[in-house]
Amino acid sequence: MAKTRYAFVIDLRRCIGCNSCSVACKSENSVHLGVWMSWVKVIQKGEFPNVSRSFLPLLCNNCEDPICVTVCPVNANRIEENGIISTDPHRCVACRYCMAACPYEVRYVHPIKKFVEKCNWCLHRVKVGLLPACVEACPAEARIFGDMNDPKSDVSKLLAKHPVQVIKPEIGTEPHVFYINLDNDAIEKKRKVDVL
Amino acid sequence: MIELVYDVHHQVTFRWLIALYFYFTGMSAGSFVISTLAYGFGLEKFKPAGKVGVVMATLLLFIAPIMLLLQVGWPIRSVWNHFTYLNFSSPMTYGAFLLMMYPINCLIYGYFMFKGDMKRTKIFGMIGIPLAITVHGYTGFILAFGKARAFWNTALMPFLFLVSAIVSGLGMMIIILLIRDRFFTREKKINTELIYTLATMLGWMIVFDLALVFCDISVLSIAHAEAKEMTHLLLHGELSPLFLGIENLLGKVVPMVLVLTPKFRSITTITIASVLVVIGILFMRFVVVYGGQVLPIV
Repeated sequence: MAKTRYAFVIDLRRCIGCNSCSVACKSENSVHLGVWMSWVKVIQKGEFPNVSRSFLPLLCNNCEDPICVTVCPVNANRIEENGIISTDPHRCVACRYCMAACPYEVRYVHPIKKFVEKCNWCLHRVKVGLLPACVEACPAEARIFGDMNDPKSDVSKLLAKHPVQVIKPEIGTEPHVFYINLDNDAIEKKRKVDVL
Repeated sequence: MIELVYDVHHQVTFRWLIALYFYFTGMSAGSFVISTLAYGFGLEKFKPAGKVGVVMATLLLFIAPIMLLLQVGWPIRSVWNHFTYLNFSSPMTYGAFLLMMYPINCLIYGYFMFKGDMKRTKIFGMIGIPLAITVHGYTGFILAFGKARAFWNTALMPFLFLVSAIVSGLGMMIIILLIRDRFFTREKKINTELIYTLATMLGWMIVFDLALVFCDISVLSIAHAEAKEMTHLLLHGELSPLFLGIENLLGKVVPMVLVLTPKFRSITTITIASVLVVIGILFMRFVVVYGGQVLPIV
């Protein structure tokens, strides 16, 4: 049997933008105030009556060729056997280089403990055979998690049956969160960030 | 019309401390290279700049890593971890070693220079040149490896940093030499010949710098969507007063005209040009560090 490679499928036809995943994540991983491991971006477009609202749940893509692992000067990021990238708080010195390099902006410095954290698809749960907290919490079953190398898993079946997209395929890190029905307008590039 | 309804706040990665760190290492590398012109390559004309150069190079390179230590979350642990858990694919790992070796080499080089041991000064000057170049070149690599940011992710970044380092180093050296000659020597007489030579070098390095900036921006303007958006921000958007106005017009074009046009050339204009250059490169560091992060990623 092929090596386990976990992947996420987010079925945006089912997502209702309830933010249950964000809340479950905060609770499961003790995510500090002001930072997020998993969140839902919301956009709306058009003018009445031709309008639509799109939800874009975002989380770490646990890429196949991750730039965060390449640039970390102290080897604090490790690719686990199942493809998930874990961070080691004992090695991290919060130099923020991984945050600068990450194309998905999923990393943050813990405001008190001062090391970089990110979504690791609830590695501690996955290791003992449970699903990630956000998958358990999703009432619409829009988040599907599993081994994409196992043809019998839900993830493999969905990937085989539907057209899927990833965010920023051109960046070349081979992200492993696949979206069904992804709206390109939700991946907005023209907004300004107040950096100063 | 696309309207953003909700998104979370993201932390700004690199802040002013990093911009200042780039600025100080740049000036340090620039002044070191100038000091080796006399003591490494034997160009007697630059001899008065040699000692000033090495003192400034060493001083700045002791200030610069303090900026880094203030920026990271775990300053003391970072010193230890950078040397124990090595990742050879990360520019920062090499940087840790360079930031250790370069100031030590500066100290040894300066020690022999002040003792008057010319043979050993030359040896350590020659060791120091590749160190000075890499210690600043690697900072460009750090940004170039920031894959997510269109403004940073270019192979030109180390060279842009190196040339701007030499520009700011020359500018700072001219100012310090002028102050020293004017106020802290017995004769109170400015070494006009040396200042004019340094000013000519400064002028031509600015020409080179402007050429590199032109290459960078012109390729950025036709590359992928984010790169185009970045170019728009730099040339017509919010960053254009800083990028075009201060960094390139006041910080490069005006000083270049002042020092390279024979009609304008005098100690006064060279002083003005040097001050403009030193301020202009400071803005360049801020524009690069902050400007790269202005565009959102997702």
